[in-house]
Amino acid sequence: MKREIAFTLNNEEIAVEVEPNWTLLYLLREVLEMTGAKEGCGVGECGACTVIVDGNAISSCLYPVMEVEGKNVTTIEGLSKEDGTLHPLQQSFIENNGVQCGYCTSGMIMSAKALLDKNPDPTENDIRVSIAGNICRCTGYVQIVESIRKAAEKMKNT
Amino acid sequence: MKGYDYYKPDTIEEAMKMMSTLDGAEYIAGGTDVMVLIKKKALSPQNLISLRNISELSYIDTDNGLRIGSGVTHSRISESDFIKRHYSALFDAVSNIGSVQVRNVGTVGGNICNAAPSADTLCPFLVFDAVVLIAGQKGEYQLAIDDFLLGPNRVALAKGEIVKGINLPALGANSGSAYIKHTRRKAMELPIVGIAARIDIDAKGHPNDWKEAFRRIDDISDMLRLLEKERFVCNDARIAMGVVAPRPIRAKKAESALQGKVISEGLLDEIGRIAASESQPRDTLRGEAWYRREMVHVLTKRAVLMALERMIHADSSNNPKTS
Amino acid sequence: MEDFLYVGKDVPRTAEINKVTGRAVYIDELKRPGMLYGKILYSRYAHARIKSINTEKAKKLPGVKAVITGYDIPDVRVGFMEDQTVLKRDVVRQYRDEVAAVAATSREIAEEALDLIEVEYEELPAIFDPVEAMKPGAPLIHELDGHGRPVKSNVLPLRWTLNVGDVEKARRESAYVVKDSLTTPWINQCCLGTSGCVAEFDSVNNLTFYSQTNVIFGAKQRISRYFAKIGLKDKKIRVINPIVAGSFGTKLDTDIYEFICIQLALKTRRPVKIQFTREEEFRTLPPRQTTRFEIEQGCDKNGMLTFRKAEAILDNGAYTSWGATTPSVMMMPISSLYRVPNVYFNAVCVYTNNIYSQAMRGYGNPQASFAVEVSMDHLAEEAGIDAAEFRMKNRNRPGEVTPMGLKITTCPLDRCITTVKEKIGWDQKRGKKNGRGVGMASLIHVAGGARVYLSDGTGIRIKVDENGHVDVLSGSTDQGQGSQTVLAQIIAETIGFRPEDINIIFGDTALGLWDAGTHASRHTFIAGNAAIRAGEKVKRQILELAVEYVPKLLKSDFRKQKKKDPDFHEPELDFTLIDNPEKLDIKDRMIFAKKAPENPNFRIDVARVLNRALNVGNGESKTVMAEVFWDPPTQMLNSEMKGNWSCTYAFGTTGAEVEVDTETGEVKILKLVAAHDVGRAMNPTLVKGQIYGAAYIGVGFALTEKLQVVEGRVMNPNLRDYKVLTALDDIPVEAVIVEDPDPMGPYGAKGIGEPGLVPTAPAIANAIYDAIGIRFTDLPITPEKVLAAIRAKKQENQQRDA
Repeated sequence: MKREIAFTLNNEEIAVEVEPNWTLLYLLREVLEMTGAKEGCGVGECGACTVIVDGNAISSCLYPVMEVEGKNVTTIEGLSKEDGTLHPLQQSFIENNGVQCGYCTSGMIMSAKALLDKNPDPTENDIRVSIAGNICRCTGYVQIVESIRKAAEKMKNT
Repeated sequence: MKGYDYYKPDTIEEAMKMMSTLDGAEYIAGGTDVMVLIKKKALSPQNLISLRNISELSYIDTDNGLRIGSGVTHSRISESDFIKRHYSALFDAVSNIGSVQVRNVGTVGGNICNAAPSADTLCPFLVFDAVVLIAGQKGEYQLAIDDFLLGPNRVALAKGEIVKGINLPALGANSGSAYIKHTRRKAMELPIVGIAARIDIDAKGHPNDWKEAFRRIDDISDMLRLLEKERFVCNDARIAMGVVAPRPIRAKKAESALQGKVISEGLLDEIGRIAASESQPRDTLRGEAWYRREMVHVLTKRAVLMALERMIHADSSNNPKTS
Repeated sequence: MEDFLYVGKDVPRTAEINKVTGRAVYIDELKRPGMLYGKILYSRYAHARIKSINTEKAKKLPGVKAVITGYDIPDVRVGFMEDQTVLKRDVVRQYRDEVAAVAATSREIAEEALDLIEVEYEELPAIFDPVEAMKPGAPLIHELDGHGRPVKSNVLPLRWTLNVGDVEKARRESAYVVKDSLTTPWINQCCLGTSGCVAEFDSVNNLTFYSQTNVIFGAKQRISRYFAKIGLKDKKIRVINPIVAGSFGTKLDTDIYEFICIQLALKTRRPVKIQFTREEEFRTLPPRQTTRFEIEQGCDKNGMLTFRKAEAILDNGAYTSWGATTPSVMMMPISSLYRVPNVYFNAVCVYTNNIYSQAMRGYGNPQASFAVEVSMDHLAEEAGIDAAEFRMKNRNRPGEVTPMGLKITTCPLDRCITTVKEKIGWDQKRGKKNGRGVGMASLIHVAGGARVYLSDGTGIRIKVDENGHVDVLSGSTDQGQGSQTVLAQIIAETIGFRPEDINIIFGDTALGLWDAGTHASRHTFIAGNAAIRAGEKVKRQILELAVEYVPKLLKSDFRKQKKKDPDFHEPELDFTLIDNPEKLDIKDRMIFAKKAPENPNFRIDVARVLNRALNVGNGESKTVMAEVFWDPPTQMLNSEMKGNWSCTYAFGTTGAEVEVDTETGEVKILKLVAAHDVGRAMNPTLVKGQIYGAAYIGVGFALTEKLQVVEGRVMNPNLRDYKVLTALDDIPVEAVIVEDPDPMGPYGAKGIGEPGLVPTAPAIANAIYDAIGIRFTDLPITPEKVLAAIRAKKQENQQRDA
């Protein structure tokens, strides 16, 4: 009982056939082969699958694919420019060691992007709240917070 | 994962109709509970009926009290300055449910209908005397939240009925509230114990600007001493406790012990002790019963204090209209 | 200080750019044509006899390609002590015992098939407490050992005893003696990516195995031994590492699921992937085991340590992995943290029906240092000496040889202690007992390799092509620490290239030379040493080419210029300045004459030289390539558990300031200062990343994390109930890099992968004692425990007063 849904994925309108019981994460990873969003737990407790839907960070592992119809979805794959130029957040994570094993990174950056899109001048606490649902086992979050803070500064000044 | 079909009605009527015609159907709102249950095979629906696209469920109305549509997300509530200022306990609850990702899709209706003993919004709704607005087969009707909650994950909804929203009465002029979620970590948590308190003060006989004197006080004990000295009386109080019973409950004895009394540090400690005696916590891997009981004692006191502080520091000119 | 271009600089980890664009391929992203998905059926009991297994229904499910049980594969033993089979067919000894496995065309079908397998069990009495299991007459978990000989006891036949000096005599002569019992819980390593692998055989049964192992050659050897037992002796094996999402000890051993995956691939003739769910990761991945310590130590009236005696019981669980060797590392802080002349240590690992255990970051050191350092505070108090001063008095010093035979070369422990004292405000804050307190703890850890195998070496191969691109083939792995970046810095510095010129290829047994693995905080030290040596060889080769080709290039340049400009006069050059490789150097891609570094004529891009020199044709083309295998001059521990098993040792001190909520029992960390001896920081930002990350895991160990295992069953197999700290649990941690370049270290570096975790928990426990006067000896220090202890103490005081 496949159904067709249409939505905007990383600024591109797409139509795709889905099974109604898929999650958005399943569609992204298994069908569209966009594997930036990770499945760290599958039940919304780690944040590795975070993507942005209509401006909000959500756990794509719990997001019914049928709800994506007509919406605007941004994933980590849609962040850098076509010429490969990194988004300031991506650049900052590399420069400030916000990345270690990298498994939380996609989700972490998407949570941070959702924050900065709404609040370009966040406090440290705002940053920590925005990524509190993104578990990281490597970094102790210190350099992740730093990466986001510095990216915010850079984005403000350009 | 077993297959299911997915429906997205636009109106309550349509949704209820689907529920009556589709086999093995379940409603789904934000999905943060339902999708987890499906993944864990605790729920195997044949059909899911999404309530997310029903616009008549997504209102926040702040005129004379507060009315929230069941489809409103936790994030939307936490972004409301009005709720933060006046219905602070509800703000406390919704701003620390799970994570941003959960709050962005999880709805207030989902939280109350799932009715977990740890559901964060239930304690605040209990202290605000909230009324649940239900769309049933024979039309809309209302049920006090206390009557709506039956037990763990059980609510007074007949098959097919939909919670349309929740109504909170207007608050008195000198009212304050707070919700304390006691957790091991600061995020991604269910409470070990959750305590909500609302307290209304009788300011009759005190000068109009009585709060000014209090606002200059930093120390909380000094604030309490002054309240006692000036003989401020509690007009009305509600205390609700989560995770200490099969469902969130009110500490009614503690409430009555507060009612009509002059506020004092000793009284608050007594209230905490009474609330603790009203709790019936269990030993679970998430927390031991004795500890939960202790926390009811400590946190009830702290929640009432926080409510008092907020009441004093609230900008009185912006208080909600009284009915 | 020497002037380095890249060493010691915050070079960004650009090599891992795919991790921020979503393009990094971990095991979960890896797909092979025709690949199937494997799933494992685990035991329903902690201890039971399997009466029957019926797989018929599962086999009939469409999409299922294979269902295997212990009866379908050779009945051979695997593991560190060869104490288990791949699939269990007679007895299950723990909940995670693998009873059957399925390969199907999708994960969902494989999962559904598991539900269709019928297993009948007959429950057997189980034993979950190692102390009970040690008692004579306790039911035996294993009746036969790996060689089929009868077993008499649940205590593993591994002897972990160190006995130096005369502990009994020293005790009698001590002015002060304290004794403490301490316990630590099961800890799940919690890698954010779950465990998984892909096994793929070619048509003649050669295996390519995609594994997250951090010891690729160890994995290959274990598979090779397994192959020998199952009739695949002469088959080729290639182990390839994808990008690895954290390890923290989980990837040292070859896990049973990996052997199962190989069997499923063999059976189905198709590539098979097994990827754990988070729940499986919690239920079945071997965690850090529980440990009970009895520790006793004493000092003389001047506060100098006289002896230390420690005994440990480790819950091994039902089978044995590397976790059973952690006592070798526990011995290190027990014998060698602070100077203590008389030492006795004994540890036993005991079989139980609990989940079997593996190592975790720190490899026993966090548990042992918790015991040592809490006891140190206790002893300082008993002796009436300030705990920081006590540590300073007894600190390790350069040049000493510890009771375990560790040769301490560089040791800035004094600076670590004083830095922490200063930054935490020790003198102002210590001893107030007002609900706020400060505490500290130190550590010693291997920082120059750890000879746990016969070889602790690594091989590295560097080749440079005609474009000036450098490929480095190494048998190491990276789990996220940034080894590629650090190695690129070291090689760039050594040869004279830029880090971005260096392409590091890790984790492929077919390409890399042998390596003992990325563990024991050894990678930067060992691979760095090998890289410098190989880099120097490569540099020499390039300079030899330069001697030959720079004059040729210059002359051809002059000819060209003359063609363009008839007035051009060829400069008079002193070619003796560059007639010998010794006279040349390379920096930042430029070759130059050492005696005339600024002479523009002799400054030539190294790529130009390579381009001209390598592909000259006429059968005389050359390569620039060097390989080095470097094995550090260290010893394995001997039968007395003595030996200098690392080239150098790292020290460090963590200070904690805490506030205890005496009404709720909650401990708030106001400040953590982690001062670590790193030799020389190769990349300060990356070094700090290691310290921050480790400290955070240490805070979890101290306060929140515990795998709750009740009668053998993991009760909190999810990230909601297993309390890994979140970003909102803001721990203000300051990482202080203490530099004292190590003469053996690559550019002076020491290892820093594990140390940050080690002293964190005891520092916090000691700070809590300073805050409220209660010594906590059972981790994690939960609010329940704190509040209960506060109540008990109050009651005790009341009774005493009455």
